[in-house]
Amino acid sequence: MKIRPGITIPLLSATLLAMLMAVALAPAETPAKVTKVMGTPISAITVEVYSDFQCPKCKALHETWMGPLIKDYVRTGRVYLIQHEFPLPQHAYARTAACYACAADRVGKYGEVCDILFKKQVEWEKDGKVDETACSVLTAAEAAKVRVLAKDPAILAQVQKDVELGAQARVNSTPTVIVSYKGRHYPVDVMASYSSFTRFLDSLH
Amino acid sequence: MRRYVVVLLRLLLGVVFVYAACAKLRDPWTLFAMSIDSYRLLPEWGVVTLARTLPWFELLLGLALISGLALRYASAAGAALLGAFFIIMIISYARGLAIDCGCFGPGEALGPKTLLRDGTLVILAITLAVMSMRPRLSV
Repeated sequence: MKIRPGITIPLLSATLLAMLMAVALAPAETPAKVTKVMGTPISAITVEVYSDFQCPKCKALHETWMGPLIKDYVRTGRVYLIQHEFPLPQHAYARTAACYACAADRVGKYGEVCDILFKKQVEWEKDGKVDETACSVLTAAEAAKVRVLAKDPAILAQVQKDVELGAQARVNSTPTVIVSYKGRHYPVDVMASYSSFTRFLDSLH
Repeated sequence: MRRYVVVLLRLLLGVVFVYAACAKLRDPWTLFAMSIDSYRLLPEWGVVTLARTLPWFELLLGLALISGLALRYASAAGAALLGAFFIIMIISYARGLAIDCGCFGPGEALGPKTLLRDGTLVILAITLAVMSMRPRLSV
């Protein structure tokens, strides 16, 4: 290739300058908030998770799969994630916990409240202190708002809608994970390893 | 009489194997790999190998049983395969693993119902294998 210094050098300089400016002006990478619904609906794959805050296997799933799934697939636009509340009737405080999580979603703290509810599951399921546990990760103002919202009929209806969606999807245990791709729905075995799950997701692309 | 029982058993088991194979083959093999992995018995390479080959083996076995080709071998292989599945399922259930059976695709929990079904199939497969092995009675 013949190099023409008169044109090539200014062109290269301009390109380099533009690249440097783009890097400098790009916003610092801050992790997006974890919400009930994450990602873009146009993603080819939708992952729906039905879970119960009082269920030990849901805790295990949350602590092993959810973080890497959000980081590797949701934030990269490959997966549209929907987290449904599915409080089981035999769990005395599960519905209250679900209401607090949904209320926290309204103040942008869904991820934080989910994390603490699962982390301290063994404690609050004994003493029923869902409010104290959920609000421990919120500011005073947020906690006041969440306490009101958690009893709001709209939030109660939101949880009930999730339960009804689960019933329609034939969810009968928690956690249930359903992967949808090109109109097909695949219930996946959550007892498999995360690497098995990602191999399955990767095979869908 | 024995002949009819053999035909009935091989058709029944053959259809079961073909159905089980088709239920797995219509989905990506990686989904069946998740079911195998959930039993926590095999290393990664074993999970992949089994997920890729087992449905095809089930299909061949089912077709062999339906057609009656190499019946002795097919019935023995069928009994051995179902027996192995049954033992693994019993062990996993006893270990308290709340997993999918994986027998006919995803979404079917391992439990008393699946154990009863698979136990019945094992008995039928052993019966077929024994009947196929016995020399034919001369008339």
